[in-house]
Amino acid sequence: MSGSGMTGENTFQNSDFLIKKDIFFEFIDTLRREYRVFGPVKEKNHYAFREISSASDLYMDYSTTMLSPGKMFIYKPKEDVLRFRIESGISIEEIRYGVEKQIIVGIHPCDIHSILYLDRVFLGDFIDPYYKIRRENTLLIALNCTKVLENCFCSSVGTGPYLKVQSGYDIVLTDLGDEYLVELKSLKASQIFNIKGKEAYPDIFKLKSDKEEALLKSFRKSIDINGLDELFFKNLNHPVWILTADEKCLSCSNCVMVCPTCFCYDIVDEMSINLKEIRRFRQLDACQDFKFAEVHGGNYRQRRASRLRQFVIHNLNYTSQYGLIKTVGCGRCITWCPTKIDLTEMVKEIQRNPLH
Amino acid sequence: MKTPLFPFKAQIIDIKIETADTKTYTLLSKDAAYTAKPGQFNMVGYPGVGEAPISLSSSVTDGIFQHTIKGVGRVTKFLERFKIGDEIHFRGPYGTHWPLDMQSGNDVLIVAGGVGLAPLRPVIHEIVKMRNFFGKVTVIYGSRSPDNIIFMDEIETWRKDIEVFLTVDEIPLNMKWNYDVGMVTKFIDKSTVNPLNAYAFICGPEIMMLFVSKGLFFRGFLPSRVYVSLERRMKCGIAQCGHCQHGSKFVCKDGPVFAYKEITKLPDGLL
Ligand SMILES: Cc1cc2nc3c(=O)[nH]c(=O)nc-3n(C[C@H](O)[C@H](O)[C@H](O)COP(=O)(O)OP(=O)(O)OC[C@H]3O[C@@H](n4cnc5c(N)ncnc54)[C@H](O)[C@@H]3O)c2cc1C
Ligand code: SF4
Repeated sequence: MSGSGMTGENTFQNSDFLIKKDIFFEFIDTLRREYRVFGPVKEKNHYAFREISSASDLYMDYSTTMLSPGKMFIYKPKEDVLRFRIESGISIEEIRYGVEKQIIVGIHPCDIHSILYLDRVFLGDFIDPYYKIRRENTLLIALNCTKVLENCFCSSVGTGPYLKVQSGYDIVLTDLGDEYLVELKSLKASQIFNIKGKEAYPDIFKLKSDKEEALLKSFRKSIDINGLDELFFKNLNHPVWILTADEKCLSCSNCVMVCPTCFCYDIVDEMSINLKEIRRFRQLDACQDFKFAEVHGGNYRQRRASRLRQFVIHNLNYTSQYGLIKTVGCGRCITWCPTKIDLTEMVKEIQRNPLH
Repeated sequence: MKTPLFPFKAQIIDIKIETADTKTYTLLSKDAAYTAKPGQFNMVGYPGVGEAPISLSSSVTDGIFQHTIKGVGRVTKFLERFKIGDEIHFRGPYGTHWPLDMQSGNDVLIVAGGVGLAPLRPVIHEIVKMRNFFGKVTVIYGSRSPDNIIFMDEIETWRKDIEVFLTVDEIPLNMKWNYDVGMVTKFIDKSTVNPLNAYAFICGPEIMMLFVSKGLFFRGFLPSRVYVSLERRMKCGIAQCGHCQHGSKFVCKDGPVFAYKEITKLPDGLL
């Protein structure tokens, strides 16, 4: 993995430069010879991560995209996992994905953290080779935020608006007007970064932390995660679950689909017309779906309130799964909920009026 | 590197009809190195149909093992049409196993409901084989009616080594039945095991496991020594597809066998 602490590949000298933006974008263009490059672009009324054919396509001043880059280009929403042929017996074939080197430019801190979370899921006790091969061949260039949107609450969970984590990605940029502060965070980054810029001097870091301070003041949404594990445990029957589910939730699963750390998938077999060739693929699945927890003779989350509660508690509690809180505070589930359900408000309601 | 979703092939070398909807398949794995512990499960399936989590109902010897499967849905009903010689695919073993302690001569109480006896059968085999290593051992097996009992002829052979209560909820008219009638909970008090020195292993519908556990605690069993095997929907078996999440646990990896106190009072569970 590129410079990831997970592989212990940390034996390089951190170095930081001040680089004019146009020079930085020229550098990105030179990388296109060897890498596919993805980044934020403007599409009519919204922004999205897309493959770019020139650094001039990039729209670095973007606001949160609907889908996070990690769940598009590293963990794919839909992907073949096996192929079968049935002749006299069964033959089983693996799908081999070629190594394609790629770079994702301009990833906000919350989305970097979401990739670090997915690493725990797919590179943990069981390694997913498809995720692994893409993760190892993807350079992550992060971009500290310059604005805080209505639904951002990353500052409450420590994932933004500036990136604090020191490994697991390659470069982090901070916008300083005409220039970027470019901090190299992996061996690979220091190998490919061939532009000569001014070395960053201590005052720059003062400037950086001043900017961060100012940004921290502009958060409108927050969540107090202290003691949430225990609070949820005592409030599994709090009226907020039932009221929100009954009055607002459509079980549409938008929240899960746009969540950058929701990892659940379904496995589906598709058979050819001659019944001899079978494609087995996985695709994103959602705990909001009625069938998600159904078993023979019952359904563990038959009630809509149970499913909504599952989404909220999984995001805000369950730190024992991977030692990390799942939410990265990007606010997408709030933005894209058609009925404007807000998990931070649900939590506040429980904190204000707990059952016990 | 292969995907952990890659299955092995196995050939069906024997089929035994247990009940109208349940069969025991004896399988020969094409992967000779395959082994598993009592309580673990495989993802069993067929191309085009999919996979389902199924416990091993036997130990593994020279790549041969058994699954006892009740036809209830897509995969399990499809398997009903299979014949000796046919191939299926499987991957595993996954999950935790029953903590059978042979060091300390403990008593063991096993309580099973319906097809829930399947994952406990390899434990019973182990106990019978190593009988001197255990104290008193009781099996309480309950089923809805006499024609839902699995492993019927085998259960008789267990009786010479262990105490067995075989019970049904009700006896249909005109059916002969020489054993007990009533819920499994009724027999907890009849078992001769010493609660303070016993492990209890339970598998069956979750509501039944709830009542059995309560009955056991009432009799003096320790929650840390009462184990249950949970059933949840599973697609992957490797803690990624998320379907089996129960509280913060992945039933496929952290379970399916849990100490009762690990999983009590979690959201959406009965225990
Ligand atoms: C760890 C573990 C071990 C297990 N061990 C065993 C075992 O040893 N033996 C055994 O027999 N079982 C065992 N099971 C249970 C078995 O895995 C389930 O019964 C599983 O659902 C069977 O899969 P299936 O594809 O046949 O059923 P599915 O098709 O998944 O159907 C299961 C149920 O879901 C519902 N359902 C599914 N699709 C639909 C639909 N389209 N419309 C309406 N309802 C639907 C039905 O109610 C059906 O009864 C085990 C389960 C676990 C988790
Ligand atoms: S997006 Fe909103 S309405 Fe849709 S399932 Fe999620 S919470 Fe419910």
